[in-house]
Amino acid sequence: MKSAMLAIVKKDLRSVTANKRLLSTLLIVPLVLTVILPSAFVLAIHFAPDDPDIQKLFELLPRSAKAESLEQTVAGLVLNYILPAFFLMIPIMTASVMAASSFVGEKEKHTLETLLYCPLSVKQIFRSKVLAAFLLSMLVSLASFGAMLLVLEAEIFFLMGTLLLPGINWLIVLLLVSPAISLIAVTLIVRGSAKARSMEESQQGAVFLILPVILLVAGQFTGILLLNAWILLGLGAVCALLAWLLLKKSMGRFTYEMLLKQ
Amino acid sequence: MFAVSLQNLSKTYPGGKQAVRRVTLSLEQGEVFGFLGPNGAGKTTTVKLLNGMLVPSEGNCRVLGADPAKDPEKAHALSGVVTEHAQMYDHLTGLQNLAFYAAVFGIPAGEARQRAASLLKQLGLEEAGGRKLSAYSTGMRQRLSLARALIHRPKVLFLDEPTSGLDPESAQNVNRLIRSLARDEGITVFLCTHQLRYAQEICTRYGLMEEGRLLAAGTLEELRSEVFSGAALRLRCANMPEKSPFRKTGEREYETAIQSEEEIPAIVRRIVEAGGEIYAVAVKKPSLEDIYFALTAGGKEGQP
Repeated sequence: MKSAMLAIVKKDLRSVTANKRLLSTLLIVPLVLTVILPSAFVLAIHFAPDDPDIQKLFELLPRSAKAESLEQTVAGLVLNYILPAFFLMIPIMTASVMAASSFVGEKEKHTLETLLYCPLSVKQIFRSKVLAAFLLSMLVSLASFGAMLLVLEAEIFFLMGTLLLPGINWLIVLLLVSPAISLIAVTLIVRGSAKARSMEESQQGAVFLILPVILLVAGQFTGILLLNAWILLGLGAVCALLAWLLLKKSMGRFTYEMLLKQ
Repeated sequence: MFAVSLQNLSKTYPGGKQAVRRVTLSLEQGEVFGFLGPNGAGKTTTVKLLNGMLVPSEGNCRVLGADPAKDPEKAHALSGVVTEHAQMYDHLTGLQNLAFYAAVFGIPAGEARQRAASLLKQLGLEEAGGRKLSAYSTGMRQRLSLARALIHRPKVLFLDEPTSGLDPESAQNVNRLIRSLARDEGITVFLCTHQLRYAQEICTRYGLMEEGRLLAAGTLEELRSEVFSGAALRLRCANMPEKSPFRKTGEREYETAIQSEEEIPAIVRRIVEAGGEIYAVAVKKPSLEDIYFALTAGGKEGQP
């Protein structure tokens, strides 16, 4: 990779960290999804285990899924089945905040033309923008995972006196599904943002990407689709393939004229 | 090899507007070329074609041999561009902005710092270098844009209205810099402006545009001889002899047309010998403005 592309990546990352409003949006949603929401689950399980619905759920579970106590079983279910689905919203959300601003933001501030005068091809500029948004989205995802694990384990330890290890699902989500989804989101949004006329238009388009993940979350809650490792692995592979195809296809499409059109 | 060349260059926008029509033109290295015409004459479109931001509908152009439509990266590495729409980042300081663009052009950080500092000094922005761009005035932004365009030592500089929004002193600074760039470093300058008087101060050759067409191109002398023959001789004189070709233009002020300066001594001698008292003699050659208006009026015959 050229040092010039690296300079664009660095500049893009810095423009997010320098903008307090953008940064707080970036941090609040992951905080809610990975710290506050799981804490609420754990506390609810601890303080209201006698709920008849939860009892019924417990009875329905296959023997292999049961841990020593009801509390630990449900906590394990939440950690390994519900939270990974929520977790997938983070890369999409992060990508939408940053990637939406990447081309349209520069267009609105009249800095895109200056950038296009540099000795990089449009393809290389596009690739730098995608990389910057992808890196940020991975960084926020990993940091959120770390924060979630820390808070959740501490809570479980104090309330239930034991530690719950995250299952293999998390490994697949962190290493395959989340990067792939993030890359899809970034590519689609950067592509859309190059065509959009205003930042709002670009961000509105990005919202639709969250819908499939919401369906996944709903599916997990209602029990229609309990994600197991194999399903996740398959999903991850499909997403990774899709991301690669999208990235490849959208690279060749841009011309200077199209990007600068008002 | 020409620094910049245009061959039958045309651009018709998708809406059908013909912004540039069959312009053929070439610039030697080290020239300060004034590309002149009113707003909407096709100057900015031409610059965009020369930078690969637009693809020509017909014809082609080259910047030091590189075709901006096919090899924009190569052309960009050789050119520096200042236009109204090429702004920089408000949340960065002047120096940070320059450092970023230097990095994008592949200049090592240490060298970039030195280059940025010296450019800021030449443009009178030393103190503003550490301030964020959001605190810059229009004139400061304009000057920083020039520094940005020069950061990678381009061989060709494209300037679109470089002194609009500058106070007279900074405009003079900028002019001095542009002149020394061309003279000392051999940089070719392609300068677009609608201010003809300003262009006459700084350019070595001119191209006059109207509605996408190149009306004429050449040095001031070439343009003058193409449009007008001769010049106007003005005298301040008392007791002007009655039989003289002079036309009275004011109290003790007279004017006549001459073909060349060689005629002046004889004319003056005749007046003096006939008892005229001469206080001042001046030759007024047609200015760029006179030439432009004569050309756009389509009249190639009249004197100014």
